[in-house]
Amino acid sequence: MKHILKYTLVSALIVGGGACTNLDEELKGDFANNAPLQNPGVGVKNNVNKATPNDGLSGAFSRVLNGTANHGSYFSVQEISSDEAVITQKGGDWFDGGIWLSMHKHQFSSTVGGINGAWNDTYTGIFQCNELLANASITAANKAQLRFLRAYFYWRLLDVFGRVKLAVSSSDVPQSDRPTVYAFVESELLAALPDLPAGKAEYGRANKSAANALLSRLYLNANIYKGTAPDNADYDKAIAAADEVINSGLYSLSPEYKDVFSPANVENVEHIFVAPFDEVTGSGMNIAQMTLHYPSQLTYKLAQQPWNGYSTMEEFYNSYDAADKRKAANFIAGPQKDVNGNPILDLAFDKGDTDGPEINYTPAINMLAPNGSRQAGARLGKFSFKLGQNPEMDNDFPLLRYAEVLLNKAEALCRKNGYGDATAATLVNQVRTRAGVGALTPLTAGTLLAERGRELFIESLRRTDLIRFGAWGNAWWEKTAHADAYKILMPIPQEQINATSGLGANKLTQNPGY
Amino acid sequence: MTKLYLFVRRYLAVMMMFGAASAFAQQSVSGKVTSSDDGSAIPGVNILEKGTSNGTVTDADGNYTISVGANATLVFSFVGYAPQEVAVGAQTSLNVTLQSDVTALSEVVVVGYGTQDKKEITSSVATLSTKDFNVGNINDPTQLLQGKVAGLSIYNRGGDPNSSAVIRLRGISTVGSNVQPLVVIDGVLGASLDNVDPNDIESINVLKDGSAAAIYGSRGSSGVILVTTKRGSGKGGLSIDYNGYVAAASVANSIPVMTASQYVAAGGNNLGSVTDWQKEVTRTGVSNVHNISIAGGSQQTQFRISSNFRNVNGVLKKSGFDQINTRASLTHTALNDKLRVDVNMSFTNRNSNFSFNEALRYAVLFNPTAPVRFNTGDYYQAILFDNFNPVAILEQNVNEGKRKNLNYNAKVDYTVIDNLTVTVNYGQQFESVLNGEYYSRNSLFRGLNRGGLARRYTSDRSFTLFEGYATYSKKFDKIDLSATAGYSYQEDQFEDIFLSLGNFPNDQLGYNALENSGDILSGNPNLLGISSSKSPINKIIATFARVNLTYDNAIFFNASVRREGSTKLGANNRYGVFPAAGLGVDLNKYLQIDRVDNLKIRIGYGVTGSLPTDSGVAQDLYTYSNQGGGSITRQRAGNPNLRWEEKAETNVGIDFGLWGKLSGSLDVYTRSVKDFVSLVPTQVAQVGAPFQFQNAGSLKTDGIELNLTYASLQFGQVRWTPGIVLSSYKSTLESIVGASTQVRANLGAPGQNSTNQIRVAVGEEIGQIWGPVFAGVNTDGTPKFADLNGDGTIKAAPGDALLAGADFKKLGNGIPTMEIGWRNQVNYKNWDMNVFFRAAFGHSLVNNFRAFYEPIDLGAINSYNRVITNKAVAGLTSAQYSSLYVESADFLRLDNMQIGYTVKGNPNSMFKNIRFYISGQNLFTITSYSGIDPEPVLQDPGAVDNGGFASTTSDVLAPGIDRRNNYFTARTYTFGLSIGL
Repeated sequence: MKHILKYTLVSALIVGGGACTNLDEELKGDFANNAPLQNPGVGVKNNVNKATPNDGLSGAFSRVLNGTANHGSYFSVQEISSDEAVITQKGGDWFDGGIWLSMHKHQFSSTVGGINGAWNDTYTGIFQCNELLANASITAANKAQLRFLRAYFYWRLLDVFGRVKLAVSSSDVPQSDRPTVYAFVESELLAALPDLPAGKAEYGRANKSAANALLSRLYLNANIYKGTAPDNADYDKAIAAADEVINSGLYSLSPEYKDVFSPANVENVEHIFVAPFDEVTGSGMNIAQMTLHYPSQLTYKLAQQPWNGYSTMEEFYNSYDAADKRKAANFIAGPQKDVNGNPILDLAFDKGDTDGPEINYTPAINMLAPNGSRQAGARLGKFSFKLGQNPEMDNDFPLLRYAEVLLNKAEALCRKNGYGDATAATLVNQVRTRAGVGALTPLTAGTLLAERGRELFIESLRRTDLIRFGAWGNAWWEKTAHADAYKILMPIPQEQINATSGLGANKLTQNPGY
Repeated sequence: MTKLYLFVRRYLAVMMMFGAASAFAQQSVSGKVTSSDDGSAIPGVNILEKGTSNGTVTDADGNYTISVGANATLVFSFVGYAPQEVAVGAQTSLNVTLQSDVTALSEVVVVGYGTQDKKEITSSVATLSTKDFNVGNINDPTQLLQGKVAGLSIYNRGGDPNSSAVIRLRGISTVGSNVQPLVVIDGVLGASLDNVDPNDIESINVLKDGSAAAIYGSRGSSGVILVTTKRGSGKGGLSIDYNGYVAAASVANSIPVMTASQYVAAGGNNLGSVTDWQKEVTRTGVSNVHNISIAGGSQQTQFRISSNFRNVNGVLKKSGFDQINTRASLTHTALNDKLRVDVNMSFTNRNSNFSFNEALRYAVLFNPTAPVRFNTGDYYQAILFDNFNPVAILEQNVNEGKRKNLNYNAKVDYTVIDNLTVTVNYGQQFESVLNGEYYSRNSLFRGLNRGGLARRYTSDRSFTLFEGYATYSKKFDKIDLSATAGYSYQEDQFEDIFLSLGNFPNDQLGYNALENSGDILSGNPNLLGISSSKSPINKIIATFARVNLTYDNAIFFNASVRREGSTKLGANNRYGVFPAAGLGVDLNKYLQIDRVDNLKIRIGYGVTGSLPTDSGVAQDLYTYSNQGGGSITRQRAGNPNLRWEEKAETNVGIDFGLWGKLSGSLDVYTRSVKDFVSLVPTQVAQVGAPFQFQNAGSLKTDGIELNLTYASLQFGQVRWTPGIVLSSYKSTLESIVGASTQVRANLGAPGQNSTNQIRVAVGEEIGQIWGPVFAGVNTDGTPKFADLNGDGTIKAAPGDALLAGADFKKLGNGIPTMEIGWRNQVNYKNWDMNVFFRAAFGHSLVNNFRAFYEPIDLGAINSYNRVITNKAVAGLTSAQYSSLYVESADFLRLDNMQIGYTVKGNPNSMFKNIRFYISGQNLFTITSYSGIDPEPVLQDPGAVDNGGFASTTSDVLAPGIDRRNNYFTARTYTFGLSIGL
């Protein structure tokens, strides 16, 4: 008996012990590094709008959805710092540490979450491009797609932050100066061009026109990016790139301006390169939530309560002629009704509001802070809402579109030849005619800037345009004029500087002036 | 109850008379029983003639008389004293002095993988047994200990019956991992307190310092709580015990808000009704708890079976649970006592109604002039931000769940040869959870916009332990040696499934028929919440050894080492070594100081670890996303170098007993945590995500703890035994990767995002509440802030907190500088009273309700009712975070008071004893804090708004934030009855 027990105990120890020495961690509910880096193609068929191609590149291309049309990233930084959008403090609502008020007043801070969001969202895209490009067996066509996409992301960084790291793999690199980043974006686009398709791109992907359209934008801003005096050679290149798009015969202006941005705008004839938002397979556009007042939920039967944040400024709203079709398309203003046509009410309306509880989006706003009216400000209606709208919208966001290319060419011509350039006037008026308004007279730097503003409203280009036209430091509503040249760049996010603090030569340094 | 009491008295008296009459009286003995403490008489001492059923008890003056047979031996016993046997011989007068065991040195203390005499302990160990526990409506074992152990902070704010307490031993020991102490139940480490009923606990030991905890290696950093459950005795016979109570809990403190008329006068919309919303959603929660246990056995076999029934109801309407727990234990010895087998099993079945804590928040905010319902019967609702009818939340929706816990273990000790014992312990533990929520199609709160919303969650957790160890003990002249060596294998696995679906045809079937969801047709992943997970099999493998040496019964030394490996760490650093050593000297043995009963110094050093909570943190992670057509992308780069988080702790302590009265201990410690594992910002371009798990930094904590007991102050027949525990510590961040200065704990919506309340910086204390200093009101009603750095410009917008030249400062500390527990035991004849005060000083809280809803904001007054306190500033109409909302939260609370009466029976009669008690919990609080509860908040779950779902994780670096979702504090009265048969 004793022996039996002894042996049982000893063998239990041995069996128990011997079986359990392997400490490798085998993940059961997450893909580990044995997961193939490819697009398995599942989910394509259910896309409500249109299938994106099953080319294995979705992991990278879907990253354009992040930060493009949601709150707290690239879109917010580009828009709230400009003269076309504002978030007022509505009493106890939307103060949020004063960060959006500061951004409106051009008091940029390196610790603002939105600035860090813009950085992270963009670099996440770059990381995914680099991951896919590291695959040695990648086809030339896919390689060109990814190099274009990575160049587009780097253009965003070039435009917003200027001095960034040009990472092309997972190995770390030092920070580059802005001209170097400019040269990199240019060379990458030129290198990608030959292997991009000449015809229409597949949905959500790029073609030669996309590269050329981005080049036209890049060259138009070249002197800003390079920190040099304007150079006609750059304008020539901008014109040539724009001409490549115009002469491709693939694009034309959509007959109706509003169709370019509607929920059903898939493959609009004007789209060159889009962020293919989709309520099912392409989430990341929340403009309905960001702009509408709470009870407007009843107007559109929104699935969730909106946030009453973004509106446009009166001055900008008034820059449109009454007849301009873009005015009706771009803004939601006036008294608001529910689906049955009854007025919608804000039961917590300000006692001083002459409209009472009935909601009336007035273009005039009483103040920026602290008690901005809850109902004031024309709302951002350009990417229009459908009934029963989910927080994730369906509208594709054109990152590059034909009208911009026309205006790019017109502007390059004017900058090279002067604002009397006849071709430039034709191009500008082409865009205006579609909007139902007459020729732009006189064509000057000021009127061209305003025209671009009206046409390209909330397409995240306004900040870039204001800087190029030297209007960035101008005064506008609740913002005083400044002559701080360094503010053409946003500060490098403090979080990023911290993350690289121990990296010696690869440390990030703050942009001068901040 | 009085009737029952009288009945019992009579019955007992009859039983005793019968017992006395049946004895064959030959000799009468009388005398007095006194206490060794102070010579005072002890009433109620049990006196039994050994080997018979003949017995009596001492009267109020400690006197007794008993008739005994020839050659009788009397056994004297009383709670709190060591039992004593005295041979009567020819004596007719026999006075006995009972030795108090309050300061007894012979106490056996459970330590890791064995027991030690208390005097041999060289580390800081706190021991509590049944008599020390808190009494009242106690539904969670941790409540037994609250305030009783110096350095053990237990806070369950409010007392939501379905939430568990936050426990910290000696402050923050780690940043991102297992911050709660390791629990060991009857030798099963990693056991869950969810499956042990407070009624079944015999004693709890808390291993406070590293030298004691190091034997548990990687999981010992946050301290170790050793629970020993009650077992059957080998004295023969059967004992049946019943414990039961009824408790009534009511709201102790509500948030002061404007009445309807005040609200209208302040500019709020008058909707014509008067509603006290806080009253509408709360109630007096009545709870019933019953415990029945049967224990008994023979010299060879002992058993105990107990069942606990709990029907617990909280002060928030609908909140509560029903629980049945059954525990069985069996001990068998065989082979001439060489073999001992212990088997334990426990099962818990709990059905909870979680109700909605959000109802409490919206009850504070909701318009006091709004009706609960319109005349049509529909609930009053307004479409506003973060605004829901709290009664509708409770009545329209369902939030409930079931939990089942099962564990068993079998432990075999075999004495192979004299002095050598081999032990094998095998145990398993299972937990399964099934929760369901349903939000009505008519519920503005989460349901309306979704056409009804159902959420289901189920999880399954399993844990297996196998340990084997051998203990060798031998005496050599003046040296006692004991050595232990062993092996430990642990594995656990967790899996879960979550479903969230909306658009139901009607509310009739609730969450029971998910197939009716219209969302299924949409194929929209933004509507269909579907997820499941399964963790890897997480393993821990360890070998360990320990030596205890005692020299001259006065010098005690022990050392241990554990080498432990875990699957959770980087492939390059899976194993860690955790050494410890301790030395104790009984100085009194050599110094023999007059009137000093005990004087022992101890010094201990030990290294323990801490594991990440998550799995896969060291590996590359890839995720699949349907976005953009479907793709697998690298989500996060792994960290193959991720290594153990280590805590090295030195503890110096002194135990003392003076004048036969005062006993206590004083401990001073310093602990440094290095390589704590935390998510660190990284470069997205290299890692693919903005964060990565890294060994991110180090922390240091210094502290001091004092425990004093004064044995018995006598006032006539009233004996008062006061005791106090006192603790204080301070934690400092020594280093951190990346941002050496950070702000955390966002205040939230409406309007106060990007507003952080806590600063964490290298070289500074943990828990600093940080912000601008309020300096008056501007003409537009916005707050003015102080120019703290005197540079002429005021940079005080919350978003500027980290900028150079910002006018921010430390506004308070979220962690108390001193925590105190003051216990008082008073005995008078058969009456006993316990009065327990708890206090904490030096901490502040950010009163979030005030920070949002105190200023009379013209824009928001129509959306939310206003909080009114005497701290409000006239003319301030803009809610903006500042020092104005940071309040000192020092408090003294009468935490627990109990009065009991014990009827002692003859030990051999049917009733052994009957006891009645009433108790009150949270009877009063003295504080200047204007919120509901001044108790410290040790970690922050973050902001939630507009019906969003709260995070399940909390930030331990952000203490001191009194969020808006806290459960209301309850005051509880309990009537209890114990019967021993």
